[in-house]
Amino acid sequence: MKKLVVLFMVLSLIMLFTACGKKAAKVAPVQGPVVEKVEEPITQVEKPYLSEEEIFQQKTIEELNKYQVLKMINFDFDKYQVREDMKPLLQANADWMLKFSTVQVLIEGHCDERGTIEYNIALGEKRAEAAKNYLTSLGVNATNIKIVSYGKSKPLVHGVDEATYFQNRRDEFIITKK
Amino acid sequence: MKIRQTVLVAFVFLVSWQLSGQEEITIRIKEGMPMIPVALPDFQFTETSLPNNEIKNLIHETLWQDLEFSRVFKLVPREHYSYIARFNASAINFKDWASIQANILISGQLEIGADERIIFSLKIYEVNSARFIFGRNYGGKKDLCRMIAHKAADEMMKHFGEKPLFTSKIVYVCETGSDKEIYIMDYDGFRPTRITFNNYIDMLPSWSANNEKIIYTAYRHLSPDLYMFDIYSGKTELLSSGGVNYAADWSPGADQIVYTSSKDGNTEIYLKDMKTGQDKRLTFNPAIDTSPCWSPNGREIAFTSQRNGTPQIYVMDAEGSNIRRITTEGSYHDSPAWSPDGMRIAYVSRIEGRFDIYVFNLKSNDIIKLTENAGRNENPSWSPDGRHLVFSSNRSGKYQLYLVDYDGRNIRQITSSGENKMPKWQRLLK
Repeated sequence: MKKLVVLFMVLSLIMLFTACGKKAAKVAPVQGPVVEKVEEPITQVEKPYLSEEEIFQQKTIEELNKYQVLKMINFDFDKYQVREDMKPLLQANADWMLKFSTVQVLIEGHCDERGTIEYNIALGEKRAEAAKNYLTSLGVNATNIKIVSYGKSKPLVHGVDEATYFQNRRDEFIITKK
Repeated sequence: MKIRQTVLVAFVFLVSWQLSGQEEITIRIKEGMPMIPVALPDFQFTETSLPNNEIKNLIHETLWQDLEFSRVFKLVPREHYSYIARFNASAINFKDWASIQANILISGQLEIGADERIIFSLKIYEVNSARFIFGRNYGGKKDLCRMIAHKAADEMMKHFGEKPLFTSKIVYVCETGSDKEIYIMDYDGFRPTRITFNNYIDMLPSWSANNEKIIYTAYRHLSPDLYMFDIYSGKTELLSSGGVNYAADWSPGADQIVYTSSKDGNTEIYLKDMKTGQDKRLTFNPAIDTSPCWSPNGREIAFTSQRNGTPQIYVMDAEGSNIRRITTEGSYHDSPAWSPDGMRIAYVSRIEGRFDIYVFNLKSNDIIKLTENAGRNENPSWSPDGRHLVFSSNRSGKYQLYLVDYDGRNIRQITSSGENKMPKWQRLLK
């Protein structure tokens, strides 16, 4: 008998609370804690802005190459087809080369170390050639581009993981003449 | 009557078939042939000689190592010599030497002058018949001690019907820092000599048919070109132009080279007439064709092609026709090297990221693996007698050159300073 009374009381309590909860949710949404907005005052420093033309005029060939105005692209393992995600980089390179059409560019094809010396020279050349073909398809003059392959003899970074290998499987775009 | 004729024809056919089968067996027996036991006791000085033990031991040790390397001779262990009386060149007790299982006894005598000029007298005896077989005298300066021993070892090889190899050399690329230059050394790694001093990337050297010239690839004018270096005159000549040019191999007939070039826009294999300089293109394929290598009879060329998607080894006739695929399994093969007996092609395979050296037997279609579980192994090249190969491996961390026997035994490192790659063993010395 005692148990039954206790059970009844518990049940009625649960019902009361759930009913209250539902009502509360409907009536007033829970207020979040007060958040103080943190802001830093904007300093009025003006960065010296150089247009592409000014950069091209002012910088030497070495500096242009150092700052990589032409972007490097990477390749899949054992492949020489241009990756989809590298096409925008080639597009940017092509735009730049079309803008400064006097520029002569050497495309260097490179491979990671997981290949033989002989085959990698051929593979590197195919990579350079793939980029050259892509650039010319975008309107760049083929006579402005030369290609060379270094195979695996000039790795960019040293290491034995996929990230390293990916960085080494690349085409570099070297400006040889302004 | 007709039946009898067919039976006869069948019989003749069977006999000839068996004969050709037998030929193959003979060669196998030769490779597995028991080695000739040789005793090489300490050398002696003549009465008028300076007793220079350093020279004596150097010649003795070099000759010992050559013979042990040969796979033709087997040296009776040194400790067995203590069971018998000390060797005496003027009164040889052949029964003693027979008792420690020696078949051949080598006696050496040295005459060392005050100017350190050496005269080394070699005498070879057949122990069981107590017979003098042959002898030679070698003269030279102190710095040629190793060469004197190599000459003596070659003489032994020739006398027993084998091809000489101990005076042969290996050309290779040595990298120190970013500098990659071409060197020549003895087959055992001693006496390296630098032959290029140009600060460009030099790579993939190979020997001319007469061993007097070396063709290599250098990045002199941005794009790699073939250069021919004459060892004796020291002159260098440019051989190629346009595109990437590399991996030259000189024909056994000495008048042509095959090489890889992209001068027509794609990597193809070309044949160059060395007298006229005329090029003939051998492959016509949008895929990569590279690494050409002559068969020892000059009739065929092995090469690597990616025409079926992945790099595989192919063989074609020297005119570029009759192309056959050699490797059928695996997805990455390169660097074919045809053995001097024409029976085997060594190459590099990449299997699950590992680079190892394999040998394909053209007669039996058997493949054996020469290297296992030790770094990356590349660029095999055969010894002039076809019993050994040299290759590069980074098993010790850096790339070094190693020797290995045709069956994968006796791997030993022969270089240790800098990084050493792309070895090519000289051809058979005339």
